Amino acid sequence: MNNRLKVLRAERDWSQAHLAELLGVSRQTVNALETGRYDPSLPLAFKIARVFDQPIESIFSED
Amino acid sequence: MSTSVDYKMSWPARILGLLFLALVGAGVGYLIGGRLNLDALSWDDALALIIAALLLATGVVMAAIVALRPASVPSGCGVLQAVVMLLAGVLMLAPMWGPNLADPETVFVGLVVLSVVQSVANLLLWRRADEMLRRVMVETSALAFWASQMALFLYAAAERLGLTGGVSAWGMLAVLMTIYLLASTVASMRRGLH
Repeated sequence: MNNRLKVLRAERDWSQAHLAELLGVSRQTVNALETGRYDPSLPLAFKIARVFDQPIESIFSED
Repeated sequence: MSTSVDYKMSWPARILGLLFLALVGAGVGYLIGGRLNLDALSWDDALALIIAALLLATGVVMAAIVALRPASVPSGCGVLQAVVMLLAGVLMLAPMWGPNLADPETVFVGLVVLSVVQSVANLLLWRRADEMLRRVMVETSALAFWASQMALFLYAAAERLGLTGGVSAWGMLAVLMTIYLLASTVASMRRGLH
């Protein structure tokens, strides 16, 4: 699965640590999400969508 | 509140950290080597010793990373991970090294207590971990179970066929821990945790 997490984070000038704090996960998890090493659960995907105020489908897409 | 600066350790801090770890490694090596007759070690004790050293070293590295991390970076489960690793290292080392310090009964009672403490620390780690760390733990367990089961089957079959002699429970545990550490490394690296 692809995602636009890194782009969205950069647009807001947030660090990985800051985004991790907002999502309630570790910085390593944010890094793994951004590099495509980990696909989030549905609850975390919804949380990401809420944090960026965007629909899930505009953040995540199929390969 | 927000910042685009992601934490990276400076080179002087990295060098100081490496020097610190080298000193700790030398100290641990001296202490362990001084208390154990390394030349007379059986293969199972040698393997257990290597595993114990790896666990202790990993625990010290994790503790150092947490300690050197700026306050702005959330520590996550780093402290608990370090505690679990250090306790696991002590648990592996104590049956070999403990008799130098106390009688076997006392060492065993200490091991029982430490096992309970380590189990509680593991449980706390699971409860506080985020979903990716839990996923890594689950994948590690599954991979280690599969590999251990295969290793046990092959050994049991060889023994049944009269092709190999007996292996002690201590030797089996050392092999199990080796497999577990390898599985943990593979599962962590797949998620970029290295």
